[in-house]
Amino acid sequence: MMRVGLIVNPIAGMGGSVGLKGTDGEAYRRALELGAKPVSPGRIRYLLSLIKRRDIFFLVAPKRMGENYVRDTDFRYEVVGSVGEETSAEDTKRIAREIVANGIDLLVFVGGDGTARDIADAVDLKVPVLAIPSGVKMFSSVFVLSPNAAANIIDSFNKETPLIEREVMDIDEEAFRKNRLAARLYSYLKVPGIELLLQAGKEASNISKSEEAQKKEIAEYIVENIEEGYVYFLGPGTTLKAIADRIGVSKTLLGIDAVYNGRLVGKDLNEKGLLKLIHTYGKAKIIVTPIGGNGFIFGRASKQFTPEVLRRVGKENIIVVGTKGKVLKLKCLRVDTGDEGVDRMLAGPIKVVTGYREEVVMEVRV
Amino acid sequence: MIRLDFNENPHPPPRIVVEEARRGLSEVTRYCEVKYLEELKLLIGEYTNIPRDRIIVSPGSDIILREIIHTFSVNRKVIMLNPSFFPALECARRHSRKILKFQVTPPDFKLNAEILMKEIKEPSLVIIDNPNNPTGMEFLNHDLVIKLLDNKNTMLVIDEAYYEFSRKTFSGLISNYSNLAITRTLDKGFSLAGLRIGFLLAGDMFKEGLSDFATILPRPSVYAAIAALKNREYVRENVERIISERERLISELKELGVEAYPSATNFILIRSDILGLSEKLRIKGIAIKDLSSEWIPGYYRVSIGLPEENDFLVKSLKELLNYES
Repeated sequence: MMRVGLIVNPIAGMGGSVGLKGTDGEAYRRALELGAKPVSPGRIRYLLSLIKRRDIFFLVAPKRMGENYVRDTDFRYEVVGSVGEETSAEDTKRIAREIVANGIDLLVFVGGDGTARDIADAVDLKVPVLAIPSGVKMFSSVFVLSPNAAANIIDSFNKETPLIEREVMDIDEEAFRKNRLAARLYSYLKVPGIELLLQAGKEASNISKSEEAQKKEIAEYIVENIEEGYVYFLGPGTTLKAIADRIGVSKTLLGIDAVYNGRLVGKDLNEKGLLKLIHTYGKAKIIVTPIGGNGFIFGRASKQFTPEVLRRVGKENIIVVGTKGKVLKLKCLRVDTGDEGVDRMLAGPIKVVTGYREEVVMEVRV
Repeated sequence: MIRLDFNENPHPPPRIVVEEARRGLSEVTRYCEVKYLEELKLLIGEYTNIPRDRIIVSPGSDIILREIIHTFSVNRKVIMLNPSFFPALECARRHSRKILKFQVTPPDFKLNAEILMKEIKEPSLVIIDNPNNPTGMEFLNHDLVIKLLDNKNTMLVIDEAYYEFSRKTFSGLISNYSNLAITRTLDKGFSLAGLRIGFLLAGDMFKEGLSDFATILPRPSVYAAIAALKNREYVRENVERIISERERLISELKELGVEAYPSATNFILIRSDILGLSEKLRIKGIAIKDLSSEWIPGYYRVSIGLPEENDFLVKSLKELLNYES
């Protein structure tokens, strides 16, 4: 019997139809006043109707957060935790923790970026998560394409299913409503590698290795090519963590660390710390990975790499790395450093390391 | 299921071709005699206007590419485009000095020739499909090919699997450039995907390093290929039908608001915002190729089927679009 956790954000997506770009905070009440209808219940009911396997035991959040939809099916389930009439982000986090503590194989949630952040706060990278999109903002790359895809994954999910890490983004809703995209990397979740599951036919995918194996390959190649005399700034992300692991130093997952001749010389650095190290060691290289989906290398995930830091380091000393599963899906890499001159310096073709002795020429666009 | 996901040609070859394949099956206890293999090469030579000694025939062009990579990628950088479908690339991972892909993407779908020329300063094996699968576009032009070939560090393989549709070939350069080879197939234009007959038109450098595969060709495939090459007027007819259907489909898809790109092949690249489009079409009984596992999500490759199959695709897309809106 597969144990599946289920959490539905019942209000996710309600802002969309009434043009509110999200339901964080007061926007939810405004959405209700404007006559917004719930989106998530339809999504989850449709998904449940598509699931073919019956060896599933659901651990569901109470009422509108899960129970109401599973109750109408023939799946076996148990309700975890309790909620009041109105639900909040805190409910999502608390119940997610309780469900995980009960022991599950897969956590399914329905929502948008905000829900993804709540889930990421509550669970760590040990729990495979299946994210069903129903929000207004879905800049995070954790979401599956459709309920059909989600049902396929659930039907074929087992302990051997490959898992990949995907970004959860933090979007400032107030800024987003004013048509400004203020986004930063918030965290990571581990999701089933859907593209690996869907490979079939004569034209088998060129991407035949797991994300973890690809990251190790990238790390191996980078470490083999480390140049002496340079301080290396490792940007955020798990690919960079794999490089740090290979070097043998610890890594701040969402921050920037510095390595010089195999030694950790800076941890969770800000601009000041980076500039100081450039001054101390004279020469520096930056290793970064793009954000999945939008391809940003600077200006979103790692604002500590300020225009000043980037100018001092220079484009020729920037190494971009990323698994094929992430990089080949991008139209281009993007920068938005806030400095036109630096953006122009970074624009144009750049090679991205995607495996051991494997690179892809990508265009950096402003 | 209507299969529009493998770039196959839905129009069958003449009856004589199938009868010859059957005759081959009736002699299945025996290897194919050399005289038939020689005849096949002779006919390919006539068809391509390339001397027989430059032709290497094999069961599908994948096998030739695999052999080329085995033989020539050691200590070379292998350069190719993404997206491209070359299962043989797996061998390059083991042998080559490095693999470098050029990501070609909308809106301009441009191969950065300047960077490519810089990259081939080191010994390189460049493998480019022209037209490209899955975009259907041509990335090579005469000037670029000459520039690549003038660099003696470069070995260039051009896959012209869709030559019968694009009608453009660089085979005329083979006698002057030893570092050029071209792969072709009878899978597409000749409607013989199930027989897997591929061949290489080899410049001297390739010819000297590669051995012939002809002896491992199955007898039914050889007999049918000979018959096909002797009766090749059907190819032109089938290709013209496909091209005319292709243009009709592109225009109908555009009317629906689906982005459909110009193509020099028997398939088209489309883009749609419908989430999970290939799954939704599969439920309706149509298979198309979702490219999101190794390229940009939202793009699909659709083979040109029979007119009624294409009609059904348009109808199904229309229903999905109405439903989504």
